[in-house]
Amino acid sequence: MISAGRFFEERLQQMSAQRYQWHVGSFAWVLHRITGLLLSLYLVIHIWVVRTIGQGPEGFDRVMATVQTPLFLFFEVGLLGTVLYHALNGVRLLLIDTGWGVRHQKGLFFVLAGLAVVVLLIGVVPILNLLGRQFPG
Amino acid sequence: MERCFKIFRFDPENGSVPLYREYRIDVQPDWRILDCIHEIKWKLDGTLSFRRSCAHGVCGSDAMMINGKNRLACRTLVRDLKKRGVIRIDPLKGFPVIKDLIVDSDAFFERNEAVKPWFVNNDRPPEKERLQSPEERDRIDEPTKCILCGSCTSACPTYWYDKAYLGPAALLKAHRFIFDSRDQAGEERLEILNDLTGPYKCHTIFNCVETCPKEINVTGAIAELKMEILRSRLRKKSKSGR
Ligand code: SF4
Ligand code: FES
Repeated sequence: MISAGRFFEERLQQMSAQRYQWHVGSFAWVLHRITGLLLSLYLVIHIWVVRTIGQGPEGFDRVMATVQTPLFLFFEVGLLGTVLYHALNGVRLLLIDTGWGVRHQKGLFFVLAGLAVVVLLIGVVPILNLLGRQFPG
Repeated sequence: MERCFKIFRFDPENGSVPLYREYRIDVQPDWRILDCIHEIKWKLDGTLSFRRSCAHGVCGSDAMMINGKNRLACRTLVRDLKKRGVIRIDPLKGFPVIKDLIVDSDAFFERNEAVKPWFVNNDRPPEKERLQSPEERDRIDEPTKCILCGSCTSACPTYWYDKAYLGPAALLKAHRFIFDSRDQAGEERLEILNDLTGPYKCHTIFNCVETCPKEINVTGAIAELKMEILRSRLRKKSKSGR
């Protein structure tokens, strides 16, 4: 239990909370957190998929029936974006911790985020093709 | 030119609740924010409290949150801020408020002391001085510029949520002595830092770098500390032959 005084003190600090300014570094950090959370959610789905496929032909059919819906193809695009950002920003963080990147963190962010967008666009094409083939017209 | 200032007010002795009060005053674009709050205190409301001493960016006592960012009131001009709208002034976030813009910085200085921020060298001093080459001096050039204003630690989201964290200012201070060629207590300090409260707690959010009035790359210093802890471990391993 925290004491009443301490509780009050902490509230006070929050009351003086003018929102702190955003900039590249804090934005990159928050996005890293969000994509990290999304990826752990994805893991749950992934485990369900692998487990159900392992249950034989019916299981396989059941999984395919679900993941080939337009909604899931849309999710897949999201997944690709999420993985790309989390992985590439992870590289940025490594470069920061080893020293060089710490003086170039903003540039690094824009270069790697740009790279993520390019790869995402390249990846979206086959996914959309698949969608078009499944639901022509 | 008239500008509106929205200032955080809190006086625990009157049992009042924290609130924002607005003041309208005529200012010039080249006035410092310190001049503005002086004007308010001297002409409109003598109860407004804040700290300042040198008024020239040396003592670090007038750090406060001005328009969403920690800045020294004496080093921020009205024209440095956005041209329109109110100018909001809050006490340093994450520090307990004593009154209005004055915060309790005891916890801040305790963290600083935890890293032994003093020079340690047990060899007999030479006749004149302990010499240092320009390169060796360069190594600690940035951290020696710190004025302990608290802007960085107060801007750090990790510190907001985990008060056990030493915070950027204390880590920078540790860096200043660990990389001083004349100091001998580096390993001892690295031991202190090699903990969950030390540099590994840093999430490289860069709020400290954005805010530092002395333009010190604090996150860079923290990154160097992380590497140095690693190197010191390796040194110890190779010495003990394991
Ligand atoms: S590092 Fe910069 S922001 Fe932090 S206490 Fe020192 S001068 Fe202030
Ligand atoms: S009053 Fe000394 S730094 Fe501003």
